[in-house]
Amino acid sequence: MVIDRRKALLFGSATTLRLLLFFAFPSLPDLLTGRVEISTPVTSFKRLQEGLFLYTHNVSPYDGGVFHQAPLLLSLFALIPSSLFSPLTSLLYIALDLLCANALIQIAESGEAGSSRLFTSPRNELKWDGIAIGAAYLFNPFTIATCIGRPISVFTNCAILYAIAKAVSGKPMSSILALGLASYLSLYPILLLPPLILLCYDRQARDKKETPPISTFAIKYTSLFFATKVWFLYISNILTGGSWEFISSTYSVQLLLPDLTPNMGLWWYFFIEMFDSFREFFLGVFWLHLGGYVGGLCIRVRRQPLFIITTLLGIFAIFKPYPSLSDTSLYFAMLPLYRHIFPLMRYTFFAMATILYASLLGPAFYYLWIYAGSGNANFFYAITLVWSLGLSEIVADSLFAVLRDEWEVERPEMKGKDVRQI
Amino acid sequence: MALISPTVLALRRDPRLLKLPPYLSALLILVGVVWLCLLPLNEYSRHTYISENALLPGQVHTYFGGSEQNVFNAYKYEVKELAGKPQDEISNKLGEIFKSAGLRSARQKYEYQAAGITYTGENVYAILHAPRGDATEAIVLVAAWTNMDGELNQNGVALTMELARYFKRWSLWSKDIIILITADSRAGPQAWVDAYHDEHISPSVAPLPIKSGALQGVVVVDNALDHHFESIHIVYDGINGQLPNLDLFNTAVSIASGQLGMRVALQRMWKHDDSYRERLQTMLRGMVRQGLGHSSGPHSSFIPYHVDAITLQAVGEGGQDDMAMGRCIESIFRSLNNLLEHFHQSFFFYLLMQADRFVSIGTYLPSAMLVAVNFTIMAIALWIRSGRPPAPKLATTMPEKSSKPEVDVIQKDGMTAIVPKETITIHERQMFIPVSLVVSLHFLGVIPLYIFNNSAFETLPYYFLLFTMVNLVLPTALATFIHHQASLTPQQYLLLHSFSLLLLGMFLATLATLNFSLSLFVGLLSAPLSFIGNPFSGSVEPKDVFPSQLRKTTSSIALQLVSPPVVVSAVCYFWGTNVGEMLAEAAFGWKVNGLWMQVIVWCVWWPAWLAGSVLVSPVL
Repeated sequence: MVIDRRKALLFGSATTLRLLLFFAFPSLPDLLTGRVEISTPVTSFKRLQEGLFLYTHNVSPYDGGVFHQAPLLLSLFALIPSSLFSPLTSLLYIALDLLCANALIQIAESGEAGSSRLFTSPRNELKWDGIAIGAAYLFNPFTIATCIGRPISVFTNCAILYAIAKAVSGKPMSSILALGLASYLSLYPILLLPPLILLCYDRQARDKKETPPISTFAIKYTSLFFATKVWFLYISNILTGGSWEFISSTYSVQLLLPDLTPNMGLWWYFFIEMFDSFREFFLGVFWLHLGGYVGGLCIRVRRQPLFIITTLLGIFAIFKPYPSLSDTSLYFAMLPLYRHIFPLMRYTFFAMATILYASLLGPAFYYLWIYAGSGNANFFYAITLVWSLGLSEIVADSLFAVLRDEWEVERPEMKGKDVRQI
Repeated sequence: MALISPTVLALRRDPRLLKLPPYLSALLILVGVVWLCLLPLNEYSRHTYISENALLPGQVHTYFGGSEQNVFNAYKYEVKELAGKPQDEISNKLGEIFKSAGLRSARQKYEYQAAGITYTGENVYAILHAPRGDATEAIVLVAAWTNMDGELNQNGVALTMELARYFKRWSLWSKDIIILITADSRAGPQAWVDAYHDEHISPSVAPLPIKSGALQGVVVVDNALDHHFESIHIVYDGINGQLPNLDLFNTAVSIASGQLGMRVALQRMWKHDDSYRERLQTMLRGMVRQGLGHSSGPHSSFIPYHVDAITLQAVGEGGQDDMAMGRCIESIFRSLNNLLEHFHQSFFFYLLMQADRFVSIGTYLPSAMLVAVNFTIMAIALWIRSGRPPAPKLATTMPEKSSKPEVDVIQKDGMTAIVPKETITIHERQMFIPVSLVVSLHFLGVIPLYIFNNSAFETLPYYFLLFTMVNLVLPTALATFIHHQASLTPQQYLLLHSFSLLLLGMFLATLATLNFSLSLFVGLLSAPLSFIGNPFSGSVEPKDVFPSQLRKTTSSIALQLVSPPVVVSAVCYFWGTNVGEMLAEAAFGWKVNGLWMQVIVWCVWWPAWLAGSVLVSPVL
């Protein structure tokens, strides 16, 4: 087998950088693990360690409301000998990052972003190759910080990227299995199922010429997805000694938001302020809002299913219950695939400047609130609003650019002209 | 957005708009400075007031005095006897005195290393358990054996010991009182407060054998005078420019001046006649202290732990005796004893211009923000300019068939115009080289940061001299290197400038919320960076982007005058200190107090300055 030299160089340098950060600055992992921007109640590595301790001492980790992560992770981490726990987990997370990058490179090389079954962009020629996209992911400071902070969401991200990579290489079965794992680990990827089925279908229809009607295809793979989920839950049930209590401390925590530890999202502050009698109503509204994008995007951007997934990942990074930097890094990993629409985006500089400002001011205001005691919760919340504004600017702008790109195929005479809503 | 965007898109092509940013930027800097100068006026500053009603400053009768004077004199005699004795003997004696007053005492040894100098000592402290409390809260009375100037704090220590004895007799305390005698004014308090919160570096700093509850307030007594004093100097600056709650300061002022009729001074302004000039001077001195962020007394170390602390220093020659100082502290402690919860009302961000006048953050923050925003505006302007295509070729007299410019027909508001296509399109930007240059310049700052914080005291001046020399030629060397490796296109040149300013503006805006003064000073010193190159031109032709040789030389010289090493030397010269001492002080702050002013200088200011200098350096 020929090993791609550029790829080896990229992976080698990314690994070296991470190893350097892990082992040359021994206090860095613990510092980042404690940051609210990286660790949320449902992904925190510290809580995983806590749960693991209870698990290995034969106490149910799901008693006591500290541990909210899937049981499969417990048995995975319980395999690591405790004497080498810290270096081996570091290596595990580095490997996960490389796997993510590998999946991204596959996605990039499939060319799905520029030309899907139903639509080929006129700007298709303008693109970065897989290695550049992998490098943009591996050397993104957000990705590096996430890797060092070791949240569980890295596993979810990796599963999502593999689901996409398998879908674009025409393997719907493994793709749905990977998505099943992702939604088993953190629930919200279940919303990616419709666009992923569209993507799988398009890819198969393109390769095979004759395919079953989309409804049969959808039913088949939806049932496969739920079968996968049930299977994972069954395994978890066995692993936790035949008890189902893990369901309430993993999934219902993500659904019902009982833990209001501050994070970068928009939910915690709302639900702190809210009167208890309205809680259920607004939980419904917030989830409906998040789910509402799936249907709308699947209809409007039907011709580019990969873009639906990308945009949804961006929307999750803003609006999901416990968002963290790792969700943003996943969105920023997918975005460079759409290099060809960058010239059509209008506010990139302002959006990036907003995000940079927020990522500096966020920790500063958190410090003023929690450590210096001279600020308060509103300081930090204001910055999370700015952060979300920056991200939604990018999401909206990229959506505009893709729609414009599609529109210019229909109306070539309008290329390069201003449009105005009448 | 969809509705306004066409207007915005049309506006951004307006050549007049593109000419505006440099003027706007200059205006913002000017407004920022003028704003600062307006603050001392009555219309912009406010009278201080007590926010926390529970404090009730000066509402109690003070009983300290009379026969306490004799015991105080005896303690003072003991302290004088102990002067110059070995640490162990001093600690033993202090422990004995605490024991005779009926208090439980303990000791803590510490040792720090900074700039090749070892700082050792031993803190002695005692805890007076509150007769009416549950040991969940404590207030601290501190006296350092030697004060900030290195003099023996004879009256301060004696007064503290005497107050400990006196407080023990009262049954009204609802918070524990900790009496702490530190061996010096900077390392000792830091070691004690670190260990109190279990944050100490073991084994060089020992843990505390006995502890009490959460610290609510700290008062430090500093009286090294051998005669009666004239006024009380209140020192309130914490590490990294963090300040104690204004209520604590106000309580001290209102008790000292209102209840006991003593004069109160701050920021070493011994004479203050309430004129505009003196107010401004007080405020600027406070800002310099805040900007430097180093330890200004034993109280400074407490403030990062969110424990509000002040130092009361006796100054001048006058009619106040030590009993008056004692009554002042008694009254402050009675007020602190009343606190129902941690200081939280009042202000944590303020500038004081007199003992009873201040401005709060809402009023002063805009000045630093305006200075920081000027960089962001220039960054945006340069970004927009970098996206413009090169100007269309001038019409030649020779008609060329082939090079007919492409035109677009634009219809707007019923009017039609034919515009050359080139002025509308935005050129793709090549960002890789500018981004990586800016990022690597910022990482380069780690080198001076490491050297100046980890060198021995004797070598520091030489390293500094060497660094200044290197800094003189570094911009030219880097510019030459870049020129030979990958000659910058006009667009990359503009982008490099843009990203460097964007980053600087961002850092300074963030810093302004943490340490206003430092942000303002760095912002003002880097203000020339906004105007290097050819800021007033809107074109991207090489001759308009790259400055001329003459311009390059003058800008380089101007920038060298405001380079970090030159500014540091100038400040040292102005204050009459030597650079080595200043750097050793900074290294001490870094190692012991957790000072991060150096990070701002070497990883924010210096890289921005270097990027600017590289842009205007003549290439060899």
